[in-house]
This record gives sequence, structure tokens and C-alpha cells, in this order.
Amino acid sequence: MEGVFFNVNNGFLEGILRGYKSGLLTPSHYASLTQCETLEDFKTQLSATDYGNFLANEPSPLSTATITDKATQTLVDQFNFLRRNSVEPLSKFLDYITYGYMIDNIILLITGTLHERDTHELLERCHPLGIFDTMPALCVATNVEELYQSVLIETPLAPYFRDCLSAADLDDMNIEIIRNIVYKAYLEDFYNYVSAIGSTTAEVMHSILAFEADRRTINITINSFDTELTKEQRAKLFPAIGRLFPAGNNALAKADDIDQVRQACENVGEYRSFFDNNSAAQINGDLGDFGVAAQLEDRFFRMEVHLNKLAFLQQFQYGVFYSYVKLKEQEIRNITWIAECIAQDARDRMHDFIPIF
Amino acid sequence: MGDDYPTLFRSEQMSLMQFLIPTEVAHDTVAELGELGNVQFMDLNPAVNPFQRSFVGEIRRTEEMARRVRFFESQIQKEKDVVPIRPLYDSAPLVTVGPSAAHNIDELDVTLAEHETRLVQMNDSYKTLSERTRELVEARHVLRETAVFFDKAETQQTDIRTSFDDSSAPLLQHDDREQQYLSTAQFDLEFVAGTIDRTRISTFERVLWRVLRGNLYMNHTDITEPFVDPATGTETRKNVFIIFAHGDALLAKIRKVAESMGATLYPIDANADKRSDSLREVTARLEDLETVLYNTGVNRRSELLRIGENLARWQDVVRKEKAIYETMNLFNYDVRRKTLVAEGWVPTRDLAMIHMALRHATEESGTSVVPILQELSTSKTPPTFTRTNKFTEGFQTIMDAYGIATYQEVNPGLFAIITFPFLFAVMFGDIGHGLIIFFAALYMIFQEKKWARQELDEILGQFFYGRYIILLMGVFSVYTGLMYNDIFSKSLHIWHSGWDFPESDGVSYAVSNGHIYPFGIDPGWHGADNGLVFTNSYKMKMSIVLGVIHMTFALCLQLPNHIKFKRPLDIYANFIPQMIFLHSIFGYLVVCILYKWSIDWSTRDTEPPSLLNMLIAMILSPGKVDAAAQLYPGQSFIQVVLLLLAMICVPWMLCMKPYFQWKEMQMIQGQGYVGLGHRNGGPRESTDEVLENEEEGNGRAIVEEMEEEHEHHDFSEVVIHQIIHTIEFCLGCISHTASYLRLWALSLAHAQLSEVLWSMTIEKFLGLSGIFGTIALVMVVVFWFLATVFILCIMEGLSAFLHALRLHWVEANSKHYQGEGYSFTPLSFAKLDEKE
Repeated sequence: MEGVFFNVNNGFLEGILRGYKSGLLTPSHYASLTQCETLEDFKTQLSATDYGNFLANEPSPLSTATITDKATQTLVDQFNFLRRNSVEPLSKFLDYITYGYMIDNIILLITGTLHERDTHELLERCHPLGIFDTMPALCVATNVEELYQSVLIETPLAPYFRDCLSAADLDDMNIEIIRNIVYKAYLEDFYNYVSAIGSTTAEVMHSILAFEADRRTINITINSFDTELTKEQRAKLFPAIGRLFPAGNNALAKADDIDQVRQACENVGEYRSFFDNNSAAQINGDLGDFGVAAQLEDRFFRMEVHLNKLAFLQQFQYGVFYSYVKLKEQEIRNITWIAECIAQDARDRMHDFIPIF
Repeated sequence: MGDDYPTLFRSEQMSLMQFLIPTEVAHDTVAELGELGNVQFMDLNPAVNPFQRSFVGEIRRTEEMARRVRFFESQIQKEKDVVPIRPLYDSAPLVTVGPSAAHNIDELDVTLAEHETRLVQMNDSYKTLSERTRELVEARHVLRETAVFFDKAETQQTDIRTSFDDSSAPLLQHDDREQQYLSTAQFDLEFVAGTIDRTRISTFERVLWRVLRGNLYMNHTDITEPFVDPATGTETRKNVFIIFAHGDALLAKIRKVAESMGATLYPIDANADKRSDSLREVTARLEDLETVLYNTGVNRRSELLRIGENLARWQDVVRKEKAIYETMNLFNYDVRRKTLVAEGWVPTRDLAMIHMALRHATEESGTSVVPILQELSTSKTPPTFTRTNKFTEGFQTIMDAYGIATYQEVNPGLFAIITFPFLFAVMFGDIGHGLIIFFAALYMIFQEKKWARQELDEILGQFFYGRYIILLMGVFSVYTGLMYNDIFSKSLHIWHSGWDFPESDGVSYAVSNGHIYPFGIDPGWHGADNGLVFTNSYKMKMSIVLGVIHMTFALCLQLPNHIKFKRPLDIYANFIPQMIFLHSIFGYLVVCILYKWSIDWSTRDTEPPSLLNMLIAMILSPGKVDAAAQLYPGQSFIQVVLLLLAMICVPWMLCMKPYFQWKEMQMIQGQGYVGLGHRNGGPRESTDEVLENEEEGNGRAIVEEMEEEHEHHDFSEVVIHQIIHTIEFCLGCISHTASYLRLWALSLAHAQLSEVLWSMTIEKFLGLSGIFGTIALVMVVVFWFLATVFILCIMEGLSAFLHALRLHWVEANSKHYQGEGYSFTPLSFAKLDEKE
């Protein structure tokens, strides 16, 4: 039934978005991009795509950073266009997408301040989608309490931080814990929000967010091996959603090595393949834990792309907006990767990007 | 036809030419051909990536040059005082062909780079200088504002201080107490002062409030004048703020927040004298800086003026160079890489000009190697190229918007020149309105030279583009207006009316006076009670007559196509039955209409029969004609015959073509050939030629194999196509004839609307006398005229235009027009300018 009235408020934007989506680079684009010899070629090649001549006015020695910045700028422009033309509840939904970037920015600023980096340099490195007015004031704070009271209280992220006020000092470990707690709160809140929207949006977004939660859970588990983090603390960081929740989460909370992680994930069919070759690789002794994690990360990205692509199969739902942002982000990562490979002349690794289509 | 003289009837005959151009003259040759604008080059390496082609380096270089030129342009545009750009036709051309070409281009590249570095340097220094100026200006503002604030605070302080006990007095003791000319207390509060972006002030205040937990006193005032960023030209507005707080920790925090929020802090002394000292100093430094800044600005401006002199020329050269190299990228190298091989479509008529251009290019470049031109045979469909001039261009565009004509097909654009304005005028018939749009078009035509050069806005530009269409529409509207005898909804009495209205009290009946009005509708009908009934009936029948004529004409345009493309089967299987079908029903209706008009029904004893009922009865109950409604004797027999003819035509159209094609196929298979799929065995001969050429080993079209669409000869497809075609035509005849009734409807609406406008405005004020009556009349006439122009001429005109367009696209074009071609897009420098 919601399909009847969906187009009244969101039809235009969905149309625009699907147009944006068809502008994503295709395998043939990637094929020709990987043949480029120099970044100049790269620029010529990109100008034949939807990016157009976004680099036309850049003076000649191009850097990969410029390419990434400009590409991100196109995404930001598109997103802002969508955001400004949207109405409730889509606007709220789009805001939720930015919260993730806001969390990243906050953590980046806090970590940077902790290591006494230059504030302006830090501000430049923030993701443009997650910028908010009072953000610069973050660098003043020295502990979480102050942080919360002075800056975060007026941002939409305030409720997420409420749970981690207990953490006393700001050090690397604590910041990491804060990040994970906040992200957990964010994911759960987003999950509830899409459930409140209901119907197809909930269906699509649940599968994406559940995967996102599981990915975090597994990452936290693997990263917490051999650290001071106790198992109880670890369990607190796991989002209470996802396909691994609750049995898998419990198992992961107790896990001590990667094999136990794999066993915990066995119960979910789709996740089984993440660890498939790992065991074989470990027997060969080629890859240590680090290699496994890197490979795992790659597979997570592939899975994410796959899920986001599935979102486009459903109509009359907001999931596509989330998915598009994620896919475009992945595309920018790919472009950066290829450009970086060209710049550093590492042609053999050039094909390690994650294909979207 | 059309071999000796260019015509609109069919598109130009095209030849596929192969150019063998020695590498050293390639650039000049392409430049020459681009000036000529007559060759459409084909991409000979579609499989090669754009950046792997031969001339990428050159393209990249021109792109870099283009970027520089764009940079200059944006710099000039940003400049507040207008920098004149010398127009292209006024500047000396830069020679980019011939032996000195490479040198010239190199020189241009260097010049551009020099100008850029100089400009960037100047911009930088200008920017740093103006930044420093800005800081000083801000400092001055901060000093002034804080001074104001301190003064105010000091006067207030006296009241507050009285309530304090004396013990605070020692605290206020200061080193330079003797300098205080006011007896009030000196501040011991520490403060931070600076400037911040006005949009951020509220956030700033809020954050500070929270960070310091309210332990601060903040004051801020607006700086009235905006600060202009010299690089981008954007304006920012700022505020001066001063914050009092206690304790170093708090102050440090304030400073940190302020800095991270993008505020600029200025060290301000609490002491009034020191403040005024520094104010003086700041003012002095500001004056110095401003002189320097002014000088830099003047230098920069003179640099920009110098660039402005040459900018148009550079733009032109860079654009052409880029087009040339992009075209050269489409070429292929021959085996020894000494010559470039190009292929392209050329109008056969222009071959001589191309030869001339090639020779000229060789002479220019100063070598003796002449590019070789040879014709290729191909079975590819050439592009459609219709030569237009400024008069026919608009009409041709109307038809091209529906679909580009198939190569050498009869071009409906030629006939649209007359039929389009005519059908428009049938709907728009009014002498007055016709004259208005006629004169509007005439004005545009007289302004042609001036307007063509300047850029018009979108709407005006569209009207200007169609000025000749509008001109003809105006002329034809005057003509139909005369036919309808309508001028601004009034009628003209040119000749003696055929009717008299004898004076009587009530209803007066017209009496014929023996005159016959020679042209158009008798003005006697105007204002008659049954005038509307009469014009309705007249215009309705007229639309049917015009519609059937127009459709018949469009149908007949099939014939030259069938003859030209040697499709006799289509004449027998399509054209003839379609003609018979259309005319046995609707042609007959037209004859009846004309016959009915020609009879004086007042002398007959029967009532005039309704033709609509007659047509319905003819189909529903054939053979029976009501005696009371009989138009002529023997009517029922003729109608039955006509109906039978129409009935026969349907299976005729349906079956004949598929049957003959099937038979032909059987025959070919019987001879042992497996279908190669030639449409009606048409281009057989050309295949042989291709084969011959291939044996010779030269003149083989390179692109030929790649894009050749192989038409699979499937019998079921032929049948289905024919079924659809037949159904479409038969139903189309009925619906299209009915569709022409829009001529009547729109012309009626137009006449009624203009009459309403007249009677609601001017007519009511005509009787008024006295000075107020005159003033009212003048005002009403102005209103009436504006409404006539905007509602009746522009709005109604657009609607009539739209309907005329539809009648051409749907009703007429569906009868004969294939429109499956693609248009000829030659490399042309002239068109390059249009695109920009």
C-alpha cells in the first residue's frame, strides 16, 4: 500500500538516485581504467564517464589525493542535492546516513587532538558528509564528560555517547572503545528507526544493517585478540542486532583465536565462505593472522557491495539511498586504489579493487 | 533527379571517400577540411581506447592550453571593472597551418604559460597583500569596537563601584595609574578579542558557554562593510567579539575554541592609551599597504587587459586545434606509417571542392605530396544530408525533429514549407492577428544580421530561429482571414453583401439581393443568429476536405520512393490498395460534400441529407438508402460498389506482399542459394563491386565489416509487419480523417475567443462619451491590444502551431515517411563555435 503514495514525496528523488546509480562505473570502464599508463590517461578515461570533466581545471601534475577529493566532492554534491530536496521521513533517513560519518569525524578529531595534531589539518581530513557546526570545538575537550557536555550534547549523536560517559581518560584504547560503543548505539538506533518506517525499507535495511553489525562484531573480536580488553568488555561492544545475535555473539565473546570465530560464523550460511580459504591458507603458512584479517576485510567489502546491489531490486523504499552512498564510496575507494597503483607503478596489484557491477 | 542542382526533394547523394594523407600534411589538410565543413569522418579504430590513440599527446597539450585560456577567461570575468575582450573578427588571425604552424603553436603555448605564471604570481601577491590588509582592517575594527565598549563600561562601572567596599581599591592599583585621566577603576579582567564569521557567532557563543560553564562575558558587534575575498570574489561578513573571562586556563580554552572555529584573535591592550597608539599604528600601516595593493591591482589589470586583447584569438585557435587532433585520432596509419588513412562521407556534389581544398592544403604546407582521394563502394547506408538555407532551415528542422529522413527518401520538409503555414492558418484565420505576427516576423528578419551575432535568450531565440515560418504563417493567416472574413472578430465589407436585412421590430430575416460575394464568407453572416451554425458546418466540411487532400498527397509521396528504390511490389501491394481504400470511403465523402455544396437546396423538395448519417449508413446497412435522405439517384448502388472495393483492399494489402516475398524466397532456395538476406534483391550490384575491389586489394572500406547489420530474412516477421501495417492504415484512415476536425475546432475556438475579447472590452466602452469615456476607451484599447497579442497571437498561435505540427507528424508522415536515417554531422569549425 505504501507503494501508492511513495512517489508523491520520494518519486522524484528515487528517480534521480537511480539515475546516479546507473552512472556508476561499469566493468568496461574499470577495464579501460586499469589500462592507463599515467594519471593523465586516467583523467582522460574518467572524463568519458559520468564524472565528466571534474578534473578539467586542475593544473597538470595530478595527485591521487586530488582525484579522491574531487570524486568525493561529486558524491557529497549528489548527497546534498538529495538531502535538500527530501522531506520527512526520507530526510531523517538521510540524516541517519550522515551520523556514521559524524562518528568517524569525532573520533578522528579526538584522536588527533590527543596526539596534538594541528586542528586545521584534522578538519580538512574529516569526511565532508559528517561535518557539523560545533565540530571544531571538539579539540578543546580533554575527557569524555567534557566532550559530551560542551559539544556533543547538541548534536543528534548525544544519546549514543550517553552510555560511554563512564570511561575516564582519553587514550587510544578508550577512544577505540568509545567508537565501538557509539557505533553500536548508532547501529541499533538506525535499526529501530528503519523498523519504525516499516515495510520494504525495513526489510532491505535490516539485511544491510545486520551485516554491518556482524562485520563489526567479527572485527572487534579479531582485533581484540591479545589486547588488554577483557571478554566481558568485549561482549559489551557487540551490537545487539545482526544475524549472529545472540548465539553467535555469545560464542564470539568467548572466542580466543580465529578458528573459534569461524565456528561461531558457521551457523550463518552466507558467512561461512568468509573463512573458507583461510584454513587452507593457514595450513600453507602463507598468511598470518594479519593476512587473514586483510583477506577478510576484502570479503566483507564484497559482501557489502553485494547486499547494497540487492537493495536496488526493490522499489518504493529508502534502502537504495543508503546503498547508493555506500556503493559510490566503494567506487571512490576503487578509483583511488587504481590511481594509487598507477602512481606507484604497482600494476600487478591493480586488479585488487572490488568490482561493483 | 537532383544530380545537377541541389534540391530539398531528396537528401544529397553521398560518397564514401578514402583519404590517403601524408603524415606531414595531415594537420593542414584536416584544418582545411574543417574550414570547409563538408566531410563526416568515420572512426577507423573504434576498438582503441581514447588514450591509446595516436595524437593523445597533442590533444593533451591543447587541453592544457585550453585550461589556461579558461583560467584567463574566468579571471577576466571576475574582474569588477569590465576588461574588454577584443572580438575575434577584429583580431589578426594566428597562422596555424603551413610550415610555421608548429612554431606558432609552440610560441602560443609558451606565451600562455608565461601569462599564466605571471597572473598566478600577481594573484598570489595580491592575495597575500589583501589578506594582510584585511587583517589590519579587522584589527582596526576590533580596536575601535573595544574602545567603544570600554568607554561604555567605564561609565557604568562608576555606579557599580560605589556599592563595593574600599578593600577592593588596592587591587585596582596599577603601574600606570597616573595615566588614567578618568578617576574610575581600571579593569583587571582578562579578555580575548577578535573577529569571526557572522554565521558562526551563535554557535561560537553556545560552545563557549558550555565549555566555560557560563563563566564568561561576551560582547559582539557587527562590522558593517563586507570583506571580499580577492580570489573568489565572495563576500563574507564578520563580527567583532570581546570575551571576558577569568583565569589562564579558561582564556587558553577560549583561544583554542576561537581558533578552531576559524576566528582571528588580536592582542588588545586594556589600557586606553596603548589602544589608541596601536590604532594609529595600524592605520598608518594600512595606508602603506593600500598603496602597494593599489599598485599591484593596477599591474594585474594591465596584464589582464593585455590578455583580453588576444583572448578570443587564442580561444579560437585552441578550439580548432583540439578538433583537428580529435579528428586525426579517428584516422588509421597505413602499413609503413607514412600516411594516414581516413574515411568519411562526402556529398558527391562537393567532391570538386574537397579536391581543391586538398590541393590548397598541400600548397599551404609547402610540400609536394598531395593527399590522395578515392571513392569506396559500400553497402552501408550513407548519412542524410539536406542542404538548407536560412529560409528552409526552420521547416526542415520541424521534420527532422520527427525523424531524420532515410537516405534519399522523399523529404517532407520541402512540402511543409507550404502545407505547414497553411494548416496553421486554417486554425488561426484572422486578418488582424495574421498581420500582427507577419509584422513581428518581418521585424525579426530585418534585425536578422544584428540578432544572429548576439546571444538571445532561450524563448526569443526559438522565435528568432523560426522567423521565416512565422512570416509565412502570418501571410497565410491573412489569406484565411480573408476567406473567413474575420479581422479582430469583425468582418470586412469589401464587396457588396449578398444579403439585405429589411428593417423590422423583432427578428429580421435576410433577403437575397442577387449579389454574390466573390471571395470568402459574405459579411452578411456576421452577427446573424444562425451565423455560428453556418460557419461551423462550413469549417467542419472544409477540414474534412483539406484533410483528405493532405493525406492523399502524403500517400502519393510513397510513389517516388518506391520508384527510386525499385520496389514495384510496394506500388502494387501497398500504394494502390491504400489509395483505393482511402478514396472509396473518404474520397467519396469529399465528393459528396462538394456535390452537396453545389446544389441549391431551396429549390429542391427534399431536405438536405446529413452526410454523417449517410456515411454511417453506407457501412452499417449497405444497399439501403432512405428515399428522404437521398443525395442523388443510384446512390445505393454506387455506395455498395465503393464499399466492396474498400473490402477487397484489406486482404489485398494483407496478403499480396507476403505472398510474393514468400514466392521469391522459394525461388531463391530452389536455385540452391541460402538466404544472404538482401532486401528485395536491391543492392546486388554494389556487392559485386565490393568483391571486385577486394580482389584488387585496395579501396576496401575498413569499417565495413564491423557494423554491417545482417538482416535476417524471416518470413514470419514479414507477415507480422504486414498485418500491423494494414491494421494501422485502415484504422488510421478513420481516426486521421477525424483528427483533421481539429482544424475546425481550433479555428472556431480562435474566432469565438477573439469575439469574446472584443465584446467584453472595447464594445462596452464604445458608446461612452465625454472625456472620461475617451480615457476609458484608450485604456481599454490598450488592454485589448495586449490581450490580443499575448492571448490570441502568442498563446493561441502556439496551440495552433502545435496542432499543425501534429497533423504533419502523425497524420501525414505516417502515410509515407520512414525517417530511419541519421543526419550528416561533418567536421566543421563553424559549427564548433555554435556548440560553445
